[in-house]
Amino acid sequence: MARRYTQTPGPIGEFSELPPWQRAAPLDLVYIGYGLLVVAMVLLSYVLGACGWLPDDPQQMNIGLLNAPPFTPGHILGTDFLGRDLQARLILGIQAYFLPGLLAVAISIVGGSMLGILAGYRGGWFDTVVTYFNNLLDSFPRLVLILLVIAVFKPDIYYIMVVVGITGMPVIANLIAGKISFLRQKNFIEAAHALGLPAHTVILKHILWYNCRALLVIQATLGMAEAILIETSLSYLGFGVQEPTPSWGNMVQAGANYFLQGNFWPSTAPALAILATILGFQLLGDGLNNALEHKRGE
Amino acid sequence: MKLSAIKPISRVIVRELGTSALLLFGVSIVVFAIIYLAPGDPFSAMLEDPSPGANAASGIQQAVSVPRSWYGQYFTWFSKVLQGDLGTSTRTGLPVLPEVVRVGINTLYLTFGSLILTLLIAVPIAVHAAARGDTAGNTAATIVAYILSAVPVFWFGYIVVYIFIHKFGMFPLISGTAVNQEHAWLYFLVPIFVLGVASGTLSEMIRHLREELSRVLADDYIRTARAKGAAVWRHAIKEGFLIPVTEIMSAKIPFLIGGAVIVEQVFNWPGMGRMAWQAAQDRDFPVIMGIALLAAAIVRFGNLVQRIVFTAVNPRASKE
Repeated sequence: MARRYTQTPGPIGEFSELPPWQRAAPLDLVYIGYGLLVVAMVLLSYVLGACGWLPDDPQQMNIGLLNAPPFTPGHILGTDFLGRDLQARLILGIQAYFLPGLLAVAISIVGGSMLGILAGYRGGWFDTVVTYFNNLLDSFPRLVLILLVIAVFKPDIYYIMVVVGITGMPVIANLIAGKISFLRQKNFIEAAHALGLPAHTVILKHILWYNCRALLVIQATLGMAEAILIETSLSYLGFGVQEPTPSWGNMVQAGANYFLQGNFWPSTAPALAILATILGFQLLGDGLNNALEHKRGE
Repeated sequence: MKLSAIKPISRVIVRELGTSALLLFGVSIVVFAIIYLAPGDPFSAMLEDPSPGANAASGIQQAVSVPRSWYGQYFTWFSKVLQGDLGTSTRTGLPVLPEVVRVGINTLYLTFGSLILTLLIAVPIAVHAAARGDTAGNTAATIVAYILSAVPVFWFGYIVVYIFIHKFGMFPLISGTAVNQEHAWLYFLVPIFVLGVASGTLSEMIRHLREELSRVLADDYIRTARAKGAAVWRHAIKEGFLIPVTEIMSAKIPFLIGGAVIVEQVFNWPGMGRMAWQAAQDRDFPVIMGIALLAAAIVRFGNLVQRIVFTAVNPRASKE
């Protein structure tokens, strides 16, 4: 049976036999627990929204009950400026970023891994080209690049998420190239070659699966947080999902018109949803990073 | 003169300038490629006939003397860019470069002001955490930083406007365009505060600074310094503080320019981000191209400064 070792940053690679959840700091376990809870809720809400099992009709207006506070009978999270049920709209709003976000994450992971392997495993000339490409992508503020694409093509969420995915590649490429050079220092790849393993086995199984799996999961959760941030920001700016289809971003924007009258809730409810979700994905990523990759300064 | 007689720092500057120039060349190709792939072409738009024949389109192409091949178009455009001619806005008819530079200054105030504010919050927490380890105080501060980093900046902007301006009247309620008003500069502080606190960079900054400082503090030379009773901070400040701070600043500039797009929208701030938003609405290609180029130039400049500081602090780097 293949044994899996966890890398520690020490000068001599030291290995621990303890499972990660016993070695992790309690705070990291709290982070991961909260993150997993958020992921579960997003998944559940996505399925509910996709199947149309909503607590109320998200488009049903109720002129008699505008901007209702939470815990109003019949509308547990209150209503928005047209009297539509906020809970149903919040659940439906997940449709706006869930699949596009997954697309962005998939592009980042696949593209970033390929670039990282080219740079780290092939090295030399490839390394130079990949580094140039990464620096080139990092030169653009992401939102400015997205606005350029929106201006030229159309404000389509899938175009936007392709840009998000591509601009997310350099981080992953650098991490994987770094990991490969770490493995080289440990004569790990040399040993795999000495066993006569073909290059694709070394890359896919020994490098990516055994050694970069945790890293890729961490980057995927962080990437999802960024995708949600971008989607909500763009629908706030009016480039994403359009009314009456709900998205957390356009709900904040629509509710904000009633802010100075003291009606905080219709704008704050989606804002809190964004906060809790992005926080969950970020804490999950960072908590996993601390627990699996031993990044917490000791 | 022998090459080794040149001081390393100047050699690094030359090398980094070369790299930046090469990257900005790449940036121009990317921007041009996106515009080139745009559906429809600008020549048909000049014709009154809604579905012009190929002859009419190529006729007008010749009439305005635009090269037909993509590389011909690229080099015509690029040589103009090098001369500082970014074209004219299709919406306002004004030349792009002076307009973008005019509002770009406002964006620089906003981004650098907020960057400094973020550092002022992040550095004490990171230093304390690196020096003392996990205490209740800095754990709480780190968690608060995480929450602030996840706050949607557009909503936070409204909250701040409501509390500080509407409720307590602490700042003059004007838009950034009315800068001639008395105490108008006070208003500048509000967007800077919003972007600095909620741009989403805070937790990452604390994390990076803490990690780097902890790593350096655990190094052998710090242990030696500590053993002989020297001031640890004097030894740790270069590698453990100066380098990570410049690194994270340069790495976060693109992110803050992106955040500025949103904050400028909330506060009606006359900056580059708001102009980019307007240009994306109007499909104003020259303006959005100019902004993308200028933003990339700012990012590259920040990176250049970071590399120079890095080499000045750590002369070994110039030998790499």
